[in-house]
Amino acid sequence: MTVGELLVIGLSHHTAPLAVRERLSVATERTGEEIQRLLATGALTESVVLSTCNRVEAYAAARDPVAAAKLLRDYLQQRTDDDVAGYLYERLGTEAVRHTFRVASSLDSMVVGEPQILGQMKCAFAMSEAAGGVGMLLGRCFHRAFAVAKRVRTETGIASGTVSVSSIAIELACKIFGNLRGRRALLVGAGKMSEAAARTLAKQGVRLFVVNRSPERAEELARACGGEARGYEQLASELVASDVVITSTASPRFVITADLMHDVTRARRHRPLFLIDIAVPRDVDPRVGDLGSVFLYDLDDLQQVANENLATRRREAHAAEQIVAAEIEQFERWRGSLGLTPTVVALRERVRDALRGELERTLPRLNSLGEAELKSLEKMIDAMVNKVLHQPLTELKRGSETPEGAMLIDAARRLFALPDDGETKPAADRDVVRSLAAAGGRGGEGR
Amino acid sequence: MVTALFVATGVLYAVSCSLYLAFLLRGHEGAGHWANRVLGASVVSHLAFLGADYAVHGNVPYGDIHQTLSIASLLIVLAYLAAMLKYRITVLGGFITPVTLLFFMGAGLGRSVAHVPHDVRSALLPLHIGVNVLGIVAFALAFAAALAYVIQERLLRRKQLGGVFQRLPALDVLDSLGFRLVTIGFPLLTVGIITGTLWAVRIDRDAPSVTATEGFALLAWLVFAGVLLLRVAAGWRGRRAAIGTMIGFACAAAVLVGYVIQAGGTQ
Repeated sequence: MTVGELLVIGLSHHTAPLAVRERLSVATERTGEEIQRLLATGALTESVVLSTCNRVEAYAAARDPVAAAKLLRDYLQQRTDDDVAGYLYERLGTEAVRHTFRVASSLDSMVVGEPQILGQMKCAFAMSEAAGGVGMLLGRCFHRAFAVAKRVRTETGIASGTVSVSSIAIELACKIFGNLRGRRALLVGAGKMSEAAARTLAKQGVRLFVVNRSPERAEELARACGGEARGYEQLASELVASDVVITSTASPRFVITADLMHDVTRARRHRPLFLIDIAVPRDVDPRVGDLGSVFLYDLDDLQQVANENLATRRREAHAAEQIVAAEIEQFERWRGSLGLTPTVVALRERVRDALRGELERTLPRLNSLGEAELKSLEKMIDAMVNKVLHQPLTELKRGSETPEGAMLIDAARRLFALPDDGETKPAADRDVVRSLAAAGGRGGEGR
Repeated sequence: MVTALFVATGVLYAVSCSLYLAFLLRGHEGAGHWANRVLGASVVSHLAFLGADYAVHGNVPYGDIHQTLSIASLLIVLAYLAAMLKYRITVLGGFITPVTLLFFMGAGLGRSVAHVPHDVRSALLPLHIGVNVLGIVAFALAFAAALAYVIQERLLRRKQLGGVFQRLPALDVLDSLGFRLVTIGFPLLTVGIITGTLWAVRIDRDAPSVTATEGFALLAWLVFAGVLLLRVAAGWRGRRAAIGTMIGFACAAAVLVGYVIQAGGTQ
């Protein structure tokens, strides 16, 4: 074979803990340099390095995949003193293509259907392209992977529904208030969970206020997310003024009681209030949810929504896998045709050379032949080449579209002792298309 | 010809209504897309019907209650399509087109039979019918927004955050829309009741009385007045205001039903 083989070696959240992943990660600005270093070894013809918080992978094309795999394993191992061999996975040939398509389509992601991975892959691909690491095989494979990802997103519900608790809370707030810009949000308690939600709210243009038993911590959180701290004694008045309230205190008792909220809702004059209780144990008396203008969601409610959305995505992943499988078939058909073209050219050359050699040996004995007769003999040789090769080319063409195509092409090359590099005379290339067409197959690439 | 156009319009309204409901309940994007197109075709067909009705029978939109219902259904659709172009609220078609369809079917009950007698016609009549039709259009749209609000609020409270919840607009948007529409409809209804009273007094000077139909009109006015007053003075909003709006529209619709029954009785 002259077109090389695709392979992927790396580790991900499926196989390695974060501590290992972060030690192997490659800074984006260093990717080009790393690729050039890998290509300089001569073991790879193409390479792309993908490094995200959930995976570090080297994609490559190589004539000798065994040597290439060893090089990439060593390359990843050199990045850390710990032994990473047990965390690495290797994908070769069709499995490498499948892996690339699945990663781009977010089927291999920690949160199935998340959109960031596609952007990260495009970025890694662009870096490699700039460093001269992309050739025909990886180029085609990645471009197809991006197209597959697009198909998967548009034709399945894999990206439907939000799956993070803080995003769901914001989505619900939007479903109550419409645009959140200029709305007032109150954080009761200054824990880590509050901080994450506060940052998401701040991005939406919400005015933030923080109430906490410890004023110092309230000040600290308010500064961190661009809000204002308020004294704990102002809790009731802040509840009256706010549109969204997020509670996450460590209090063992209810911080927001039904009695307190009775007075608050009366003072609010029926203005809706979205209460998000992400504390464990809960901060808000569940009876508060029965009040007319209050919408109360606790951590379990939000987690349930996240789980339902995740379950929907997993169901949709089945349809996505079918799209991936169909696209792999198309890709493999194209890859098969890559090995076929030089073989056909070489095969035609071999037969034509044999016939012409015989003709040239016979011609000195045929003295009376004129220009017209010689042209006729040339045409006869072409016709004989086509006739003799019709059936073999038909079988090769048909075989190249199957998984056994590579074996068939190898067999043809060995049977006719064709040269390995596939070099042919330029004039012969024109005949290839004609031969393949005559063989009755569809020529060229897949989609 | 006129009947064929009437039937065609009715069928187109029914088809667009089904498509809007398919979009609302099942989330078929294609259904929503086609619903808007079919509703556009319904408007063209409806206009052709009104034109043909005038050309062949000389019927004008305020000629009788059936024609009034017909023009009201057309105006509801036009108002919805205008709002749709601006706010992209295709999903509300699932609430508005059933009302439109009911109005249009009401227009078909005993059509071209009971015209207003010549002796009770007056210059006030077109004004009375005109403002009432515009008022009922505003209330029909407010009813759709209120119904959507009640459903959306219920889904949010029950934590059923699936398809319909995702497709319906935000509660605040529906509440504001309902409030604005009632604010538009209420003065129109007020003028409609005043002109109707003046007209009734003029033709029935000797023994003025209040029929059930007029009673419902007064009730509708009182309900909407209450909704607006409580919204402004007591900060009413959300579910209570939405339910008040729906009751008000039911009373206003009862007036139309009363007129249809009366027209049936005079056949």
